[in-house]
Amino acid sequence: MLPGTIGLVMATEAVKLLLDVGEPLIGRLLMYDALSMKFRELKVNRDTDCPICGEQPTITELISDYIEFCEMDHSEPLATAAD
Amino acid sequence: MKSTSQIIEEVKKEIPEISVEEAQKEKAEGGDDVVLLDVRDEDEYRAGYIPDAVHVTRGMLEFSIEDEVPDRDKKMIVYCAAGMRSLLAAKALKEMGYTDSVSMAGGYRDWSAAGLPTAKDKPMTPDQLERYSRHFMLSEVGERGQSKLLDAKVLLVGAGGLGSPAGLYLAATGVGTLGVVDSDVVELSNLQRQILHRTETVGKPKVDSAAETMNFLNPDVNVVPYNLRLSEDNIIDLFNEYDLVVDGCDNFATRYLVNDAAVLTNTPIVHGSIFQFEGQATVLKPHDGPCYRCMYPTPPPPGMVPG
Repeated sequence: MLPGTIGLVMATEAVKLLLDVGEPLIGRLLMYDALSMKFRELKVNRDTDCPICGEQPTITELISDYIEFCEMDHSEPLATAAD
Repeated sequence: MKSTSQIIEEVKKEIPEISVEEAQKEKAEGGDDVVLLDVRDEDEYRAGYIPDAVHVTRGMLEFSIEDEVPDRDKKMIVYCAAGMRSLLAAKALKEMGYTDSVSMAGGYRDWSAAGLPTAKDKPMTPDQLERYSRHFMLSEVGERGQSKLLDAKVLLVGAGGLGSPAGLYLAATGVGTLGVVDSDVVELSNLQRQILHRTETVGKPKVDSAAETMNFLNPDVNVVPYNLRLSEDNIIDLFNEYDLVVDGCDNFATRYLVNDAAVLTNTPIVHGSIFQFEGQATVLKPHDGPCYRCMYPTPPPPGMVPG
């Protein structure tokens, strides 16, 4: 049942964007806990150092293998995603 | 007792009239500070209107205008078909406290006869007018909004737990083109939550099962099934075809791929994810707000990923 709640939030946001009405969830992470039936909201900011949408992007085309990227050990600072 | 012409003559003494050329000039110079207000009936509006006009029928004027134009100091240029109803409407606005209301003499008839720009929404069928009639009552949607939705192209990434409810409602709403990407087939264990699929579609590709359900609900919608796995090789071309992506995928590799492709093609993503009893949703609009990498620079360690 939980995916229904989130899926309909997503559909609502999609229609708002298409119609250009209301306040979309841009920069806001909506979090839902079904057991306590609580919604919380986290403000999220753009990262000026983001490797793809920051001021000096290092990723300018798709990286070669996303599955491998997700299986890598990222405990070291990420420096290899841009190759 | 007053005759119609007496009433009109009296209102003319109170409400200034401007020509269609003056109206066009004032709107062009004033931009958002000038409101062109169309007070004609729905069927007249449907046949053609002035671009950028706000539409509130004369009958609904007093009830709806505050929502449409809350600022009573805006310049209001009111028009109807020939310039009579607009005089009465402008007078009503004045009585409601709108400080600068004028009527466009000659109305839409003279505007179009003068060769000034007009617009027309794609005509809806009688079935569409009935199907979407509840949307028309919402000023944020209306017929113009519905036309926008019918012209819109949304790509659903995943026809699973999140894609199912999102896809069903987007189809019901009348989003004109819905692409669906998924490479799985329907399994019995999907059915307790993936409401696009049915007992009799178990074993079928999810995209075909999804297309069938969405078209049963709304035959208006052009559902485009993509029975494939998104990859570095196909995603950019696919995203370039769509206005918006609804990402309900179930793994991190796809999520980062979708994010990067969205930033590179400047396509907004509506993101959602769930785990057990918790879920989250946000909108990732490239260069307007954070992207997925801004929020999560690195994927979780492989051992931490829920199965």
